Amino acid sequence: MNLDWLNAFLISGLFEVVVVIGLALLLHLELGLARIANFGVVGFWGVGMYAYGVLYVQVDWPFGDPWQFLVCLALATLAAGVAGLLVGWFIADLDLDGVLVGTLGFATAVAIVATTEQDWTGGALGLGGLRFPFDLDSVKSEELVWLLITAAVVAAILFVVWRVHRSPYGRSLIALGANEPLARSLGKPTFRSKIWLFALASAGMGFIGAFYGIMVRFLELSNLGVEITLAAMVGLVLGGSARVWGGVVGVLLTVGLFDIVIQSYLPLPRDWYTQTIPVMREVVFGATLIVVLLFRPLGILGDMRRDKLMRKLHGE
Amino acid sequence: MASDVVAPAAVGRPRIRIQGAAKSFSGRVVVDVDDLVLGNHPIEGLIGPNGAGKTTLMRMIMHSTALDRGTITFIRPDGREVVLSSLPAHELAHQGVVKSNQVIMDFDKLTIWDSLLLASTEARYEQPYRLFSERATFERHQEEIRHYLDFFGFSDPMGFAMSAGEKKLLDIVRCLLLKPTFLLLDEPTAGLPDDLTEKVMEVIKELAAGGTSVVIVEHDLNVIWSLCDDVHFMAEGSVVLRGDPQSIRENHTVVEKYLGEGHV
Repeated sequence: MNLDWLNAFLISGLFEVVVVIGLALLLHLELGLARIANFGVVGFWGVGMYAYGVLYVQVDWPFGDPWQFLVCLALATLAAGVAGLLVGWFIADLDLDGVLVGTLGFATAVAIVATTEQDWTGGALGLGGLRFPFDLDSVKSEELVWLLITAAVVAAILFVVWRVHRSPYGRSLIALGANEPLARSLGKPTFRSKIWLFALASAGMGFIGAFYGIMVRFLELSNLGVEITLAAMVGLVLGGSARVWGGVVGVLLTVGLFDIVIQSYLPLPRDWYTQTIPVMREVVFGATLIVVLLFRPLGILGDMRRDKLMRKLHGE
Repeated sequence: MASDVVAPAAVGRPRIRIQGAAKSFSGRVVVDVDDLVLGNHPIEGLIGPNGAGKTTLMRMIMHSTALDRGTITFIRPDGREVVLSSLPAHELAHQGVVKSNQVIMDFDKLTIWDSLLLASTEARYEQPYRLFSERATFERHQEEIRHYLDFFGFSDPMGFAMSAGEKKLLDIVRCLLLKPTFLLLDEPTAGLPDDLTEKVMEVIKELAAGGTSVVIVEHDLNVIWSLCDDVHFMAEGSVVLRGDPQSIRENHTVVEKYLGEGHV
């Protein structure tokens, strides 16, 4: 098959879109259903990415890939999940402001630790030595296969989220987000539910972070900036934070449009790519968030339609 | 502090004992109960003027309002005692202690069916790894839910509760689906038309006949006089009088402080 049209730029753009969709879907469970505004997405993502990188590169494993990959991935996911459990425990009873500050603070702490623990993370110099857990004839083929594997993982996350909406678990999350004291009076352990939701979503974010690290193969501190949180948050809010497909639609219209259409197909000056485009991207995303919140706070797809869903599931 | 009335303990009925419980807001004592047992009779009423502390006392039982001091104990039908005030709030429903709300409370994103399934569903079905249990949950509880939906005549159960009355009824049905052993109802018929008030009273009587203890706070005194076996009169944060509806109705203090001369 002729893959000449598929250049490294396009693969990288598509990979970015897939990763941010995955994060937006996990954020949807927290923000869209349980109304927990997690502004520290990059922190959990970063824990997964750096935990994987450090374990893979710095530890002398007695076995090679694919076992080395699988063990490191499992441990990195676990690390992000434990981080989510702890952060969730701290923020579970806080109001919106407290959650915002707590999660942002966590993301900042992760960036600081990655900067200062140079022996492990490489600090500002970065951490190299990561590689794909398989060997193919060219880097392009390896990146393409990794993109497809990551897309399959995100599709699985989408399926899980879709099922959550159709399950008693999803209903309990919506109740928790809509009226926590009332849910508690009905016997729902809301504190525990929030902590476990945070742990599971964070583990998922860490899992995706590890996949990202493998794709870029060189971990830099710039990966731990606010950009990834902003991209997931803007995409989700634009598409509709309460809808299953909200994150997908919103990320395609923001990251997809910017990272693929604008960066790959518009004839922009080459020197813009290093400085101007990344800054423009954040400006556009920030402005989009403001405009959406002002004029269509429920996003393009609007609010969830439980009445339609219940009729579909249970007739009448 | 006015002296609270301590009734002799009945055998076999679920009861709630409130000892030394107090609550103040901004220095003003709203509830100060020395020793009070609720649930010695199948249906008890809690009446008193506005600001007497009735709703606050109920909220204290349910952990919606924190106690400044005191203990609240649930005495189960088998005689075992559970200190409610040391349990997490969500455990109260598991103990069978359930309360309807004075102010309308609802889950605005959930439909009527959703809301009732939420109340019915056991915790084991609400785990993140049980993503395929909706059908089983629906089939387990649909008959009971349909019974209440038909009885109260909800217009579009697959849709959202729209009117205040519908939301009030939904709150009561959610409580019923929790299969309470001790049910606290805070103004359950407020805002309901007469026919639905009658239906609510009918359900309460059935529930009490089945062994559930019911305590009602209600400003519609016709509901209290016709439904309750025993009435507690609260004033200034304490229960100052207790007795059968007739004796309370004719009591000089109650008439003077609350009912007015024309009511007797």
